[in-house]
Order: sequence, then structure tokens, then C-alpha cells
Amino acid sequence: MAGGIKVQEINCAGCANCIKSCPTEAMRVIDGCVSVINELCIDCGECMRNCPHKAIMMDEDEWDLISSQESVVAICDPTFYVQMGAYANQILIKQALASWNVTDISDYASLAFDIVAYSIARMLDHESPQNLPLITTYCPAVIRLIQINFPELVGRVVPVDSPFEIAVAIWREVTGRNDDITLLVPCPAKITLVRNPVGREDSNAQYAVSVRKLVRALLAGGPKISSEQLEVGLNNRWLQWSVTGGESAHISAFSQRPLKTISVSGLRNTMDLLKEMELGRLRGIDYIECRVCDLGCIGGVGNAESRFLSKSRLDHMDINWNISADEMEALHGWYEKGIYKLEKEITATRRNPLATDLNSAMSRLKELNRIYSELPHIDCGSCGRPSCKALAEDIIRGQGEMTDCIFKLRETISELSREIADLAEHTPHTLRGKRV
Amino acid sequence: MTTNIYEEEFKVEGGDFMNVGTASTTLKSSLEMVGIPSSITRRASIIAYEVEMNLVIHAGGGIIRSLVSTDKLMILAIDEGPGIPDIDLAMQEGYSTASDAIRELGFGAGMGLSNMKRNADVLKINSEMGKGTSVEAIIYFTENTEWRK
Repeated sequence: MAGGIKVQEINCAGCANCIKSCPTEAMRVIDGCVSVINELCIDCGECMRNCPHKAIMMDEDEWDLISSQESVVAICDPTFYVQMGAYANQILIKQALASWNVTDISDYASLAFDIVAYSIARMLDHESPQNLPLITTYCPAVIRLIQINFPELVGRVVPVDSPFEIAVAIWREVTGRNDDITLLVPCPAKITLVRNPVGREDSNAQYAVSVRKLVRALLAGGPKISSEQLEVGLNNRWLQWSVTGGESAHISAFSQRPLKTISVSGLRNTMDLLKEMELGRLRGIDYIECRVCDLGCIGGVGNAESRFLSKSRLDHMDINWNISADEMEALHGWYEKGIYKLEKEITATRRNPLATDLNSAMSRLKELNRIYSELPHIDCGSCGRPSCKALAEDIIRGQGEMTDCIFKLRETISELSREIADLAEHTPHTLRGKRV
Repeated sequence: MTTNIYEEEFKVEGGDFMNVGTASTTLKSSLEMVGIPSSITRRASIIAYEVEMNLVIHAGGGIIRSLVSTDKLMILAIDEGPGIPDIDLAMQEGYSTASDAIRELGFGAGMGLSNMKRNADVLKINSEMGKGTSVEAIIYFTENTEWRK
């Protein structure tokens, strides 16, 4: 639902790079500028990656406005903590943010991630084998991709709320505070998590600001960094969710049996895996963890650091996968309260059929195929559509014409010029035989 | 009123493992466009995928014809391959005559025909040794089996 990206019209060259990169074919170039079909956009950020003119940006909230308030409460995506070599651990970052009057509620986040992993492990324990594998709900772009492209898989999406929502809910309950919350996000999809969440009416957070924005501000020499090595000691299991496989490892840590999981990242891998699942080819697998960004959330377009360096930091982290009895007790209380449950069922987004009744839809599909067969099938994008098929569909839906295709336009012009030449041969009787 | 039938034909090359799945993807997108419920679309894509696999692995290619009318959907696969010697045996889960080379590619698990049977309302197979095989799978639109609520 395109809440996470915006087009900077002045920079848009009207080229076809973004429309061809979109996995749901949600983009068109109309009148020289790209436009997004909101219902089809999954906020994956592929268009941003592929725009050579920097015309597509994350539609984040203004940090300058937010931070000008007296106190700010922020919850940070785990990627935030692996962006900076200078701030090597969570405590340093917390201190740095505190010096800006920003309260970082990451303690609650680490608890919430434990709760989510624990809840999913319990569901996997109790689910009957024919209903497995279940699919992650962590990546909002994956949920939307499933809703739009894999409607039959929505029933397999694990009905567990986002750990960010849970963390804020717990923080509000424990502290009794009602401040606005800013979520630091690594991607456009998590902006949409705040503005237009799936599976709940409203988000518990109010604003979304990119990780990159704050990392740059921190590195620009805002607060003082203490150079002494601090004892870490904090739970850092949740940070692993920002790299492929981290979520599965966390769930496995809570599971009573060895889980068979598949973890993939990147849009293409995600699409391939979901396709295989739709064809019923993933029997014997318990859980599917997919992220649309390469290497996981650290590959999101809203990060500041190289995803490779972030990954290296995560790989070299000492992680304590053993959950202590105290931790277990704390999370189990919240689990019993059902805090992990999604408010609303996740449903499929139906694409509009070509017509409301089957009979006329079939006739229009035949017409669509006829139009398609006349197009050049090279998917050049010059018509402003991602493919010849998409142009054929737009024409059928009354949103385009055959001459939008430059090849068809040339053909038409050449036919026309032949006709003009023919017509020119026909002189009026009064002029025939005379010099004109 | 004449019955309106939408027809789509797909040519499959034998041994072409790189493009396997195209027939099923194309069919899925067509069915979505005419507004067929996703539960049926999914069953149809599974059938199309499995017949496509069979044409690629066993038959040296063939054609897949999909016909949609207002009350049912039919998938026809016709080939001029070696034929199936014992259809009942071939229908059993896990039975496969696929070569080791094909199994190494991760195909040929012997689930194809039983998968088709599970997803079709009617499945007819005619095979003549040395002449070829035709598979006809029908899904009726009245029935509405939900895969998982």
C-alpha cells in the first residue's frame, strides 16, 4: 500500500528502470513521470535501488521536527545497532541517544523479540504437519507480496504481531506512559508498518524515521562517545533478526524439537521459494523465513552502513542462545496474556479481474491475448509499462492505447504514409492531365 | 447462448528443465485475470506444473491445452512419448521411472500423478505404448474446497 516511498517528480527522467524492477508490476510512467499503483505496491524498495536519478525516496517523517520536541521515545530496528563501528554496542548507543533526550526502549524490544520467537516455536510445536510450513510475518513486504501474488498462502502466515508493536505495548503497560513513539526503520516496508499496518487497525508507533538518518546524525559528531569498553551483558539475540537466518535460529532456541527451516533473502529468492511452496513442494519443512532485502534487513535501502560490514559484525557477535530461567519467566507471563496475537486476520488482496462476470472476463482475456500477440514482446518499457503483457492489460482495461507502443506507432505511421502516397496519386478530375 | 470457452495452449520442450513452471505460471495469471477463486487457481497450477514436469521428464515434450468454461476448467496434456506401461502402478505415490540423472536434479520423486489426482475432480489418463499419452484433468467450479482457512 505504498506508504513507504515517494517520487520526487523533478528528478524523474521517465526512464523505465524502476518499472521493470517492480515485482508486482505496480509502476507506470505516465506523462513523463513514474506513478505507483498503490494497491499493488509492497514497499520492497527495489525501485529505489534501481533508480539512477535518485527520484524515488523513502517517505519518512521529519526527524528534525520530531527531535525538536522536549523528549523523544524511540524504538530502533535491530539493524540500527550494527551500523557503526564507533558505537559497538547497545549501551553506547543508548547513552548517545540519551544525550539527545531520546529514550531508546530497546530493552523492551529484546524482550518482545523473545516473546515472538517463543510464540512461533509454540505454534510450530502444536501445528499439525499438513499445515506446515508456516511463513514469517516479520518482513512487512513479504506479507504484502503474499497477499498480492500468493493469495493461497495467506493462511500459512504465522499470526504473530510485529515485535515492535509488542515492545511498545509492553513499554506503555509497564511505564504507564503514553508518549508518541518513533520507530527507526531500515526500509520503506517498515514505514508502512507504522502508517498502514497489516493485521491490526493502527500501529502503536506514530512516526517512522530511517536508520540512515540517525546514524548519519550520530556519526556527524553529535554526542560524545565514551571510549571505555563496556561489559555488554545485554540480550543480543534479537539483533540477529537483521540478518538472514537469525529469526530461525532464535525460534529454534525455543523449540522442543529440531526445526527444519528455510531462510532466504532477496526478492528473487523470496519469490522462488513462495512459488515452490504454492506448488506444494516444501513438505517436511516447518518454517520459512524470508526477507525481500539481500542478506536480510541489513540490506534494506534505509540503512547507512554497507550490508557486508553489518553482516560481519553480526557474524562475530557473541550470542547467548540459552534463555535463562529469569528471562523465561518474564516472557512467559506476557505470552500467557496473549500479547503476541494479531488483532485481525491477514487476508489476500484480490487483483481486479478483467470483468465482473466470468463470461465477459473470458472474452476480454481473449482480446487481451490478441492484442498481446501483436506487440513486439521485447518488454522494452518505452510505453511506460513494465512489459508488453502489462500494456495489453492496460489497453483492455481502458488505460492505454496500441500506439503507446513505439513499434506499433512506427508501423501505423508507415501505413499512414503509404496511404498518403496513394491518396496523392488521386488528383481531382478538374486537374487531371494538367500541370499542377 | 453459445458457450464461451477460453483456451490457452502451451508447447513444452522435452528435457527443458530451465523453463519448467512457465506453463503453470502463465495459466495462473490468466485464471487470476478472469477472476477464478484462488483456491481453484492453486489446484490448477499444481496440475499444470505436474503435467509439465511429466512432459519434460518422460515424454520428450508435448502440448498443454487449458480450457476454461463457465462451470469448469480442463487441463489437457498430449504427448507422443513412450507411453505409460502400467497406469495404476504409476499412480502410486513414490513410484517413478525417472533416471538417476533426473533424480539428481531433484525431480522424479514419483509424486506427479498422485498430486494431479489429489487436485483434480476428474483425472483421465490414456496411454498407448510407443504412441503417446494424454492426460485430462477437470476441476469443477461449484466445488469450493478451501486449502486452509
